[in-house]
Amino acid sequence: MKKISIEHLARVEGSGGITATIDGYVVTDVKFFVNEGPRLIEKLVIGKTPEENVNLVPRICAICSISHKYAAIRALEKALSVKVPPKVTLLRELMHLGEMVESHSLHIYFLALPDYLGFPSVIAMASKFEFEAKIALEMKQFGNHIMKIVSGRFIHGENPVIGGFGKFPSRKELVWIKNKAIQFLPHVIKTVKLFAELNYPDCPEAETLFACLNPEQDEFGFVGDEIILSTGEKISVQDYKSLTNEFIVSHSYCKRSHYQGKPYSVGALARINNLGERLQGESGKMFKKYFNPRWKKNPLYNNAAQALETLYSFERIPEVIDKLLKIPDPPLIKYTKNEGKGAGAVEAPRGTLFDYYEISKGQITYADIITPTAQNAEDIERYCYLAAQKLLEEGQEDNKIRERMDLVVRSFDPCISCSVHMVQLKKAPEESWKEKLASLKKTESLVFVGVGKRNHGDDGAGIELALKLREQGVRNVWLEDEIEEKNSLWETNSSSPLIFLDAVDFGESPGKIALFPLQHVFWNSMLSHKLMPFIPGPANYHQLKKSFVLGIQPESIGEGESISQAIRLAMKKILDEIRN
Amino acid sequence: MQKDKLKIGIYELTGCAGDALLILDCEEELINIFKATNIESFLMAKSDNINGELDIALVEGSVTTEKEKQELLDIRKRSKVVVAIGICATLGGIQAAFLSEKEWKENFKKVYGKTEMINTNPLQSKPTDEYIKVDYYLPGCPIGKEQFLSTFTRILAGNPPELYRFPVCVECKWNENDCLLNKDILCLGPLTLAGCGSVCINHNLPCVGCWGPSEEGNLTSEFSLLLEKGFDHDFIKQKMANFSGTRISEFLATLKGAKR
Repeated sequence: MKKISIEHLARVEGSGGITATIDGYVVTDVKFFVNEGPRLIEKLVIGKTPEENVNLVPRICAICSISHKYAAIRALEKALSVKVPPKVTLLRELMHLGEMVESHSLHIYFLALPDYLGFPSVIAMASKFEFEAKIALEMKQFGNHIMKIVSGRFIHGENPVIGGFGKFPSRKELVWIKNKAIQFLPHVIKTVKLFAELNYPDCPEAETLFACLNPEQDEFGFVGDEIILSTGEKISVQDYKSLTNEFIVSHSYCKRSHYQGKPYSVGALARINNLGERLQGESGKMFKKYFNPRWKKNPLYNNAAQALETLYSFERIPEVIDKLLKIPDPPLIKYTKNEGKGAGAVEAPRGTLFDYYEISKGQITYADIITPTAQNAEDIERYCYLAAQKLLEEGQEDNKIRERMDLVVRSFDPCISCSVHMVQLKKAPEESWKEKLASLKKTESLVFVGVGKRNHGDDGAGIELALKLREQGVRNVWLEDEIEEKNSLWETNSSSPLIFLDAVDFGESPGKIALFPLQHVFWNSMLSHKLMPFIPGPANYHQLKKSFVLGIQPESIGEGESISQAIRLAMKKILDEIRN
Repeated sequence: MQKDKLKIGIYELTGCAGDALLILDCEEELINIFKATNIESFLMAKSDNINGELDIALVEGSVTTEKEKQELLDIRKRSKVVVAIGICATLGGIQAAFLSEKEWKENFKKVYGKTEMINTNPLQSKPTDEYIKVDYYLPGCPIGKEQFLSTFTRILAGNPPELYRFPVCVECKWNENDCLLNKDILCLGPLTLAGCGSVCINHNLPCVGCWGPSEEGNLTSEFSLLLEKGFDHDFIKQKMANFSGTRISEFLATLKGAKR
C-alpha cells in the first residue's frame, strides 16, 4: 500500500490537497481534502439583519466576494419581496461580469496555460508568449477596475445593497469601461482560439452530470431563478436542496453534494455544455467552431469554456453599458416586510452558488450557503481516481500520476487566490539556453551579474561562476555585492542586456540549466526573490526586456555546504558556452 | 544576497485571503518596496518558500485549528517583528463573532454534527495575539492599500507604524460627506477606526465598522450620542461585534455604565 499525495494542492478558502492510495495495481481511495478551519458563517449570521448579512457573507472568499454578495442579495430580496428596477439589475450584471473577467483570465493564463504549452510557469512561458502574458495581466486588471468602479473597492466593496446601490457610477466611468472592453475584444478572440485548440490529454474522460442556472428568455448569462441540468431537467432555485443534498465527510471541512446519489459538476464547462447553443456574436461563432463531444466528458476542457465565457463577457459589457447610459439613476428601493424565506443563486466564476435565508422579525433565523467547490468536490475526487487508475494500468510512474491529478484539480479552478502556489515548476523552458545565449552574444555586449550566497551549497553557484568568468578574462562581470546602488547598473550600461547568474529552483533535476526573461520575475517570483532589487524603474523598461536570468537547478542550499558535483558540471558548461 | 536586506514572510491563517490578495493588487508599488527586502515566504505569490528566520512576519487570518496555532507559534519563534494584518488577525474577524466558547461549540456541532475531523483539531476562532505577542497591528477588512504601503515602509525603516487613531468621521469630514446620523441612519463611523477613506459613506451608505473600534475616540460618549439619537442599545453592540469579534467583548464591558 502506498500513497501519492499533493500537499497544498489548492487552497479552497484555506489549504487543501489530494491523496491517492494505491494497493498494487488498484487505486483504492482518492481524497480531496480541505483543511480550511471552520468559520461557521451560516451560524454567525443568525440574529443579524438582512443588511448586516450582505456585509458579512462576502467575507467567505475575497476572490468571489462579488458573487457572494450578489447571491445573498438575490436570496434576501426574494425573501423580502423586493423588486429592483432594470438599471439596478444591469449594474449588478456589470460588476458580476467584472469578477468573471478577472477570475477567468487569472486562472486560464496564469495557472493553467503553462502546463499545456509545456512550460514550467508563466515566467518561462512568457519568453515565447510575451504578448499573451501581457494581455493576461491587463485583462485581470480590467476586471479589477470594473469591480472597484461598481462596488467601491477591489475587494469587499459595500456599494451593492438590498434594493439597489448606494451610488451609481458616473457616465465617464461607464464609458471608460465600455471603450476598454471594445478595444480588447480582438485579444479575447485570440484567447479563445488559443485555449480551444490546446491539446488536452484524453485521460480522464467520463460522462458526468452538469448543472448551472438557466437565465431568462433563453439567453446566455450568469444568473437565473431556475437550475438546468445536462439531462434537460429543470429545478427551481427555491428547490435547490433537491439538487445539492449536502453531506459531510470526515477528511474535510468542505461539505459535499450529490444529485440522486451521483456527483455532478458546476462551473464554466457546465454552463457551456448546457447553454452554449445560446451564445451569439463572436462567442457564438467560436462555440460552433470548437465545441465537440469531448467537452461533455473531459474536465480539462473547463479552461476552454472559461476562455469562451471571457469572450462572452467582453461582448456583453458594452451592451450592458449602452443600456445603463440610457436610464436615469433610480433611488434605493425601500421595503417594509420583515419576515419571509427565499433562495437566490448566481453563477460564481467556478460554479453555481446558492444562498438561502429565513427571516423573522427583521432578523436572519436560518442561513444555508452552498459553494461551487463543495458541489464539485465529489467529481474532483472521481476524475482524479479515474486518472490515477488509468495511468497506473498503463504502468506510469508516481510522478505522472501526481502531475495528472494536479492538472485535474486545477482545471476545476477551486479557488484562485489560494491555488497560485499550486503551480509548481516542473520543466525547463523548451528553448535551448545555449542557442539563445549564442544569439544574444552575437548582437549585444553582455553584462554578467553573479547572484547568490557563498558557503551556502549550490546557492553560491552564481557567485563562483562570475569569479571564474573574471579569472578567464571575460569582461563586464559583476558580483551582486559589488553593486552598491542597483540603479547605477541600469543607467551606466543601459544599452547592454544583463545576464544574472543564479541558482534557480525550477523543479528540474539538479544541474539543469535554463534561461528566463528577467521582466517576468516579479509576476511570479518563483525564480529567486534575490533578484527583486535588480528590477529597475519603468525608465529602464527597454533594457529590462532584453535581460535574462541564467539559472542552474540547485541540489542543496544548506549553510556551510560546498557546491555539489552536478552543479559544478553545469557551471563548466556555462563557462565554456560564454567563453566560446 | 545583501546582508542588510530584511527577510519578510507573509502568512495566511483562516480568513478570506483578502489581505494577501490586496497586497498582490498593489502591483507597481509592491515591486518598489520589495526591492528593499527578501521575500522568504508568500504562499499566494510564489512556491519557493523558505521557513527560516525572519525580520518581519505579516500574518493574515485568525487561528481556527490546532495546526494553525502551532504554525503561528513557529512564525513567532522565527520572527523579530510580527505584524497582524486585517481584522481576522487583529480582532478575530467575522468568524470570531461567537463570544463564548460554549456558544461556538454548540454551533460547531450544529454545522458538522458528530463527524470527527481526521486532519486537524478545530478551535474557536481567535485573533493572533491570543497566542503570541504581536508587535504591530494593521486593521481593515480588507486592509487599505495606502495604509499598508505606508505602514510596511515604516516598519522596514525600523520605525513603528503611525496609524490613524481617530474615527472614520474625521476622514468623512475630509471628504465633505453629509452626516448620515443627521438623516437618522445608524452609521458606525464615530466608533470605528479611520483608514478606509470613509469609503461606505462616500457611497451614501453607513459605515459597517470593518476596521474595528477606534482606540482614541471618546467611545463612551459617542455610544451615548447614538443612544440619544434613539438607536437601540443592543443593535449598536451587535453591529459593532460583526467585525471586531473576540476583542469587542472587552470594549463592550467598559460600556456597561453607558446610560440607556
